[in-house]
Parts: sequence; structure tokens; C-alpha cells
Amino acid sequence: MLFCVVNVKLTKLFEDVIVSETIGIVNTIGVERVKVDKEPKALELKSVLPKLQVQHVSKAFQSNNGGVYVLEDINLEVGEGEFVCIVGPSGCGKTTLLNIVAGLEKADSGDVWVNGSKINGAGTDRVVIFQEAALFPWLNVVKNVEFGLKLKGIGSSKRRNTAIEYLKMVHLTKFQNAHVHELSGGMKQRVAIARALAMNPEMLLMDEPFSSLDAQTRWILHYELQNIWLKTRKTILFVTHNISEAVCLADRVIILSTTPGRIKKEFFVDLPRPRDDNDVNVAEYSTRIMKELKVELDKVVKCEMDADSCVECDIKCTTEVSEKTDIGGGI
Amino acid sequence: MNIVKRIIFYILLVGIWELLYRLGIWPAYVLPSVVSVCKTLIHGFHDQTFLIGIAVSMKRIAIGYGISIVIGILLGLLIGRVRIFEETLGSLISGLQTLPTICWLPLALLWFGLNDWSIMFLVIMGAVLSITIATDAGVKNVPLLYMRAAKTMGARGWKLYLEVIIPAALPYIITGMKQGWSFAWRSLMAGELLIVCVGLGHLLMVGRELNDMSQVIAVMIVIIIIGILVDRLFFVKVERRIRERWGLVKT
Repeated sequence: MLFCVVNVKLTKLFEDVIVSETIGIVNTIGVERVKVDKEPKALELKSVLPKLQVQHVSKAFQSNNGGVYVLEDINLEVGEGEFVCIVGPSGCGKTTLLNIVAGLEKADSGDVWVNGSKINGAGTDRVVIFQEAALFPWLNVVKNVEFGLKLKGIGSSKRRNTAIEYLKMVHLTKFQNAHVHELSGGMKQRVAIARALAMNPEMLLMDEPFSSLDAQTRWILHYELQNIWLKTRKTILFVTHNISEAVCLADRVIILSTTPGRIKKEFFVDLPRPRDDNDVNVAEYSTRIMKELKVELDKVVKCEMDADSCVECDIKCTTEVSEKTDIGGGI
Repeated sequence: MNIVKRIIFYILLVGIWELLYRLGIWPAYVLPSVVSVCKTLIHGFHDQTFLIGIAVSMKRIAIGYGISIVIGILLGLLIGRVRIFEETLGSLISGLQTLPTICWLPLALLWFGLNDWSIMFLVIMGAVLSITIATDAGVKNVPLLYMRAAKTMGARGWKLYLEVIIPAALPYIITGMKQGWSFAWRSLMAGELLIVCVGLGHLLMVGRELNDMSQVIAVMIVIIIIGILVDRLFFVKVERRIRERWGLVKT
């Protein structure tokens, strides 16, 4: 393995935080793995199983603007307690990949393993936080947080306590009896995070959860999410098109290329937490990652400019280019 | 202000009615006086004929409407969620809705005979289609996002229906129930008018047979008031609560 499993640095930096022994993948700055291991490791050979293994996943899919894209031979491993961000231009299939891991979509080929067992559909071990909070308007805040626990058949007083505990973590206990529509966008996402954490899942899957929020709210939530991660040490797979967001949050940033969607490069981010979006080091990392991504963005732009005559990329572009299409926004 | 306007309007209406009566253009069996209608109302409640009529009618509609809610929601869920039912049953339901409820009367009479069940069958046929169609629409409009979120939190099978699909479709279902209620109420009255067996509709017919226009109008007033009361006391309140909860209106 290229990354060591020692975390002297992290423990030094956060002496007040209890860090378990196997987590915290620290690497020297600038080490880049151009390709992840092609060969899937035999499970029994590993002393510590990775939390998540994505093996040879491929899928053809249609994006919102009608173009047909492909995700090709994705191999990915995420360790226990690791925070991994997937970055890529629009149409690279990052959301599709996350949905496949969540079990909401089926891959054309390839498998996803969680804790060494193959997934079969959606499961409570992988809770998704969507771009829209997806809170249920017929339930108030605390009942939304209790939702998953109720489905698990946990008694009402016990699930109320758990829900309050996690609402405390996102600082929203005051709003426990509020209706969903009374909350701001940022508060809704915090409730969604509390709802996901209350399920105590093996991992959190986050699909551009902050992309529809304003800059300040996003900044606050980056800070809060980092603190939550430091407290809970959940394994997180986070999809975004925002590079500085990825650098700010992740242990490891994975860049997906577009057409075909492949893992292009990985960056390890070794900066102390909690990090700030505007920090110089974060900006420096972002610039380097941006350089890698530039090529991919150019592809997307070129394709959109050329509209229906893309020769270089084999995307079946539509003449109408969706206005929403982001080209690595937030940079 | 609204309520004052309304009161003035009704006083005027009653005034014009009384004036027309006093002008003596029509005989009393065509247009009775306000006073005689009031007397009939008081007398009707006093000797309990109206109360019995109301009780019998309410019992019929409670059973018929209750059954149609259950059947309507179940059918709506089936049509909304299962492709084969949508393609087959869906077209039948929308076809049947064009049939006026009273057209079921001959069939009901032959199936059930001259009794309560015929009337309740009419009530069910009046309400069930509206509820089915509204539930179907509600189910189809449940945002995919809710379904996905619920699935990742472990909602499956009947729990998905009970905890997500039905609550998410509830605003639609309530609208359908409201419409269904007014259809059911109409069907009930039509049935009671045509099948002789106690009830408000029957009281109307008795008024006609006795040439007692006061009773006819008194019973009509009772029927209108019950219709309004159910709408105000139940549907308006429930709708307001849902709107507040979902944030569809500023509270």
C-alpha cells in the first residue's frame, strides 16, 4: 500500500480529539497515484478490509441534457474513516457512480463491496445526502431525523433521544419542532446530515450536498462537516464539482475524467483540520488539481461549443446545451 | 368585515323572500312564508322526525363514504404504482367517471333490492372514483427524491407506502376526498328520494306528497347546512393544516 496508516501528525494536531488506530491516512504532500490498483485484491489477503471497494464498475447513462455518457472501469477503495471526494466535470458520471455505490442505480458491469460483502440494492449501511435535502414536508424536523430509526423499529423514546443527540451535533435542537419549509437551505442540509448520522451508517454518501447553497452558508457547513467528521470518524464519499470544497474536506481527492468517465488521478490532501476554504494551502492544492482538471473541462467546453459535431469526444451531444451545465463551477 | 357582508346578504335574501310571499303572487304551497318554514324546522326537530332523518342519512353516508375512502385509496395506489393496473383499470375508472351516479340506481335495485345497501352502493359509486383518481395523481407526483431518500433509509414494501407514498400524496388524497364527499352527499340524497326508507331525502319526498312546501324548503335548508358544516368543520381545517405544514401558504 502506498499510504501509511500512521497518524502521528493528526493526533498531534488534534490532541483533544480521540483518533482510532486504523484511521487517518496521512501521506506526504504531492504524492500522486496516477492509477489505482487494477487487480482487485483477494479479500482474505488483507488484514484490514477497506470499507468500500468499487471493482471494474462500468455504466452507460444519459445525463440531464440528453447526452449519452459512459463510466468506464472504475476501481476505487475507501478505507475505514476516510473522507474521499470525487471531483469531475459535468457528465463525467460522478453522481452516477455515487448512486451505484448507494444501490440506487445498477452498474452495467462490476461490483461494489461494503465491508467485504457485495451490495445488493440500497441499504441502511450507506445513507445518501442529496443535493436537495429531501426532508419530508409532512414531518417536523425531529420526526424527519427519527424517520430511519422508526423504520428500523426502534422505540419512540429511544429514537427521540438519538434524534435530539444528532440535532445537537448540527446545532438545530431549537428547531426540532419546526416545519421543514421554515428552515433555510443550509439548515435543511444540516437536518439531512443529522438524519443520516442518526442511522449510524457504515458510510455517508454525499452528492453535491452544498452546491445549491450560498457561499457563506457553504463555508459554515464545510466547517461543521469537518467537525462532525472529526467527532464521528464516519467514512465519507463526497461528490462535488467544486475543487476547493473537495480540498477543504477530503483526505483524498479523486479526479474523474469525462468521456469516458475514468479515474484520472488521485491527490492526497495532508492539511490540518478544520480547514478553511480560503486558506492559502487549500488554494495551492486547488490550483494543482485544477491544472489536471483543465484538460477535462476543455473537453466539455469544446463539446458544447461544437454542439452536434464532436469527433474528438464520442459524446452524443444535443444541439441544445443545458444552461445549468456546470463547467467545474466554484473555481 | 366579510362576516358582516354575509349577514347583511342573508338578511336581504330572507327579506325579499318574505316580501314576495306577502305580495301574494303565488299561493302558499308554491312559496311558503319564512315564518312557516321556521315553524316547520322547529317542529321537525322538536318531534324528532328531522333528527331521525339526519341520523339515518348520516349513518348511510358514514358507511358508504368510509368504504369508498378505503377502496378509493387502495385502487389509486394500485393504478398509480403498478403499470398493468394503470393501463387497464385506469382507463375503466376514467370512463366510469363520466357516468352520472344515479345511473347506477337500476343496477343497485336489482342487486340489492329496495334497501339501505342500494343507497350505500350509490354513495360508494359517487365518491370512490374521485378518490381513486386523486390518489392516483398524488402517487404519481411523489417526488423521486423522497423515494430515493426513503429507500436509502431502509423503507421497503408496505412501509414505503405507509411512511412515504401515502403521506406524500396526502394533499391530493384530501382534495379527492373533499370532492368525493360532495358527490357522495348528492348520491345519498338522490338515492333517498327514489328509494322510500327514512332519511333526509325521504323527508323531502314526504313534503312533496303532502303538498307541504314548508317542509320541502326546511329539509333543503337542513341538507345545505349539513353539507357546509362537514366542509367547514372537517375539510377546510384539514386542508389548512396540510398547507401550513407543507408551507404552501404563509402562516
